[in-house]
Amino acid sequence: MSASATAETLHSHAEAHGHHGPVDWPQDEFFGLATPGKIAMWIFLLSDAFSFSGLLLGYGLLRGGSTVWHHPGEPELGINFTAFLTFLLICSSVSMVMAYSAAVENDRKKTAFWLVLTILGGVAFLCGQMHEYFGFFPAFSTHPLHGLVGEGLIFGHSDYANTFYVTTTFHGCHVFAGVCYLTVVLINTLRGKLDGRPGAVELVGLFWHFVDLVWILVFTLIYLVP
Amino acid sequence: MSSHATRKQYLGIFAALFVLTVLEVGVVKMPGIGKHPMILALIFLAVTKAALVGLFFMHLRWETKVLKWMVAIPLATPALYAMVLIADAMWRRLPA
Repeated sequence: MSASATAETLHSHAEAHGHHGPVDWPQDEFFGLATPGKIAMWIFLLSDAFSFSGLLLGYGLLRGGSTVWHHPGEPELGINFTAFLTFLLICSSVSMVMAYSAAVENDRKKTAFWLVLTILGGVAFLCGQMHEYFGFFPAFSTHPLHGLVGEGLIFGHSDYANTFYVTTTFHGCHVFAGVCYLTVVLINTLRGKLDGRPGAVELVGLFWHFVDLVWILVFTLIYLVP
Repeated sequence: MSSHATRKQYLGIFAALFVLTVLEVGVVKMPGIGKHPMILALIFLAVTKAALVGLFFMHLRWETKVLKWMVAIPLATPALYAMVLIADAMWRRLPA
């Protein structure tokens, strides 16, 4: 079946049933059962991956070309605390796939429950990142009281500080966007708008796992590589 | 055929990601390890973790070959570019 004929069939099917929501997508020769939404999300994620690649390559070039990377007075990055943040993101990825599994089973309550846990994981990660920068919670502090900023890692003072803050803040913006996106999906789930539509949960899941995947690389390249 | 993993498989991937993260921190804190072996080990562990997330959590394992290649080829280009830059930097540092 040609692409235009397929689209026409779907359109007439949607009209015949009096709705304009998603319909069962036919098996495609190249993309199988992947919906246009999923393919579009993948294309967006690839373009986003290039943004992060640019930042990480720039970091590598600056670091490789520098004679002094850590200037006197600048703190080392705390590995243990950031490993905990990494673990937190991995946990939120697991709750995300659990939400998708519940959505496939059309279990609204369980989907909402796992989505709430995923959102909480994202919020906790953002709080952790703010704590790392500014030292909000002294009890958990690796950099007592004032975080990295108070310890002397100031944006604009060195390539080390600049690449660190730009890359991690850009990632933090993605976590924030993911939390907003998840909240919208949660509200729609609770209102029953996504009943029988696990694809919508899968799409937000793709974005959320991408944020986790990028953090795995950022954690390794920015924090762990000596 | 299912288009995604079972809950048990998801928990298995979670356990693998947890162990790999602990290994990463362990590699960094290992006494006496050289800089280059450490970097190679860290990159291997990070790429393994990223692949697990992409294949299982993002369901790439269950997608068609076309979609898999559509994702893999663009993602490989920054890595290739990084290798070219590293080779260039090493060549510039060779004694004349």
